[in-house]
Amino acid sequence: MTRFLQYLFDGLSSGAIYALLALGLVIIFRGTSHLNFAQGELAMLSAFFAWWLNESGLPFWFTVLLSAVFGFAIATLVEHFIIRPIGRRSTFAVGVALIGLFLGINSLAPFAWKVTIPEQVPSLFPNAPDDFVRIGGATWRIVAIGNLVVTLAVAGLLFVLFQRTKLGLAMRAVASNPDNAPLTGIKVGRVLMVSWGLAAFVGAVGGGLVASQNGQVESTMMFTIFFSATAAAMLGGFDSLLGAVVAGLLLGVLENTVAGYQPELIGQELRGTVSLIVILVVLLVRPSGLFGSARVERV
Amino acid sequence: MAAAFKPVRIQQGSPVHWALRAVGVAAMAYLLVLPIFQDLKPNQYGELADIAILALAALSLNLLIGFTGQISIGHSAFFGVGAYTTAALMDQRDWTAGWTFPVAAVLCFVVGVLVGIPALRLTGVYLTLVTLALAQIFPALVRKAEGITGGSFGITGLAYDPPSWTGLDASDRGDRTKWLYLLALGLLALGYVLVRNLVKSRVGRAMVSVRDNTTAAGVMGVNVAVTKTVVFGISAALAGVAGSVFALRQTQANPDTANFTILGAILFLVIMVIGGTASLLGPIVGAFVYYRVNQFTIDIPEKSWLPEWFRDFLVGRPNLATIVFAALLVVLMFVAPFGIVGLAKQTGRRFVHVVPKPPALAPAEQLAPAVDADIDDADSDPVVNPFAT
Repeated sequence: MTRFLQYLFDGLSSGAIYALLALGLVIIFRGTSHLNFAQGELAMLSAFFAWWLNESGLPFWFTVLLSAVFGFAIATLVEHFIIRPIGRRSTFAVGVALIGLFLGINSLAPFAWKVTIPEQVPSLFPNAPDDFVRIGGATWRIVAIGNLVVTLAVAGLLFVLFQRTKLGLAMRAVASNPDNAPLTGIKVGRVLMVSWGLAAFVGAVGGGLVASQNGQVESTMMFTIFFSATAAAMLGGFDSLLGAVVAGLLLGVLENTVAGYQPELIGQELRGTVSLIVILVVLLVRPSGLFGSARVERV
Repeated sequence: MAAAFKPVRIQQGSPVHWALRAVGVAAMAYLLVLPIFQDLKPNQYGELADIAILALAALSLNLLIGFTGQISIGHSAFFGVGAYTTAALMDQRDWTAGWTFPVAAVLCFVVGVLVGIPALRLTGVYLTLVTLALAQIFPALVRKAEGITGGSFGITGLAYDPPSWTGLDASDRGDRTKWLYLLALGLLALGYVLVRNLVKSRVGRAMVSVRDNTTAAGVMGVNVAVTKTVVFGISAALAGVAGSVFALRQTQANPDTANFTILGAILFLVIMVIGGTASLLGPIVGAFVYYRVNQFTIDIPEKSWLPEWFRDFLVGRPNLATIVFAALLVVLMFVAPFGIVGLAKQTGRRFVHVVPKPPALAPAEQLAPAVDADIDDADSDPVVNPFAT
């Protein structure tokens, strides 16, 4: 039981980060039905930005916030100048462009900051060896709790935004009926821009958490995390924000538990297979995911 | 299109058309076959071999994405399965490299079909996700299966001596590289013919119809499920064979190789898109352009004709080539979504317009006035518009 609790705590921590990235994927998918391949790399770029500002003496938590604003700005520009014009052509062209962005941003960060080795960043939360809470014999590190709390807070804010504000209403309108939304006076283009910005904002917070957890930033830091996040978004149903959070946490716990109980067969190296199996099972059994609407599986 | 002058109209199948075709084929043959008879330096043969391998991988992807409309970003995994099949069979069973190609092809075909099945009912994003997952876990799986793959160390010391009938000297480095080039070229030619025949046949029309309108294709009697999975399998097999040659060219198979990770899958996609989606020649053109531009960009910091400040700016900055290709990919989506070949065809059509041959009519219909078919370039690949949504 202690062992399981331990995996649960660790899993909730990594799952929190999956959830953040999955939230970003879902926000964009709801608006435009594109899978944003560049989501993880935008988060990585923001994390580099935070590291860079941190080098000049600002506190890390503050630079992470600034980097989220930076991510917001970059993503709105990407949406306005790249995605939307290409989107008029075809979905496939957008997919290719997004893969190009994935590749470009991934190499741009080391290029812009002349970084070839991982750079050190401080932790966002107390991270001394004795910074933990002991529950049922398992240790729940403050860092892990911090990740979870930040994710839940961001998810809560997003919920308020979507359900209680005019902007959120407009975003829901665009998601549920993009053809009729403009008839009610909603500026669809602006809403989509904000959606991309928000997704990158949430992703940047995730990137900051990853950087803080790893103690470093590097250009490949989001690869496996982005992959698990896509699996989480899929498990959650691709168009459900609640689904993304629940599925992200669930997947994190699942990965940690499986890897923990099968250290020989799976272990840390093959954690990714859990995501693959989840994707396959969801595809075969319930393509709309746990919380998704059936609209998504339209052929 | 500028209506300033009318393009020359040429009847399909007319002597002029055949002459044009002959010139085109001769020019291509000259370019392709020339290196066989010329004595190039070993590293030039090496470059050509690398280009042929990349072209074959991109060709396999084009069959899947360009002609069937299924997006895969997991072809690095098939490439890797092929490479490891060859490597493992040579390392542990002492096979000759040549015999491992069919095994690699069959194995990759099976894996490809297995991957294609779960995504059958669904389109777009879902297949992409499954292939992404595949690309992501392949290197990890390889590291784990130490018994077969040699784990993190990989398999080294792969050598394929040119057989005596080629007249090449197995102890000469240049001849060994030339042999690998000939091998890669031969397999590329084989792959090209296979894809061309597939695409221009009944199967090809089924593929294109699945791509353009899956529902309509099903209604017209195309077996959508079989078409999708089999094409996926064939595409995987081609990528696997490319991987086999790649392993020989590298003389090793190692899980850290970029081409076996998701970056490899993206590389194949970049080559395909640059060359021309849904074009038969596209992957070959794309591989050439990719290789040359890549070399050029890597050498940029040493170019003396560039301003001093620009060269100073580049010092210590990695990945310039990748950024160039990423930018190229995005820009191409704006200006030439069909890649270089697509752009060339579009331009060529302004000057020469090949009028398709009217179909052989049944006697009763022959009385009907012949329609001056203004269909665009029926001689080209059977492509309507892969970008139609």
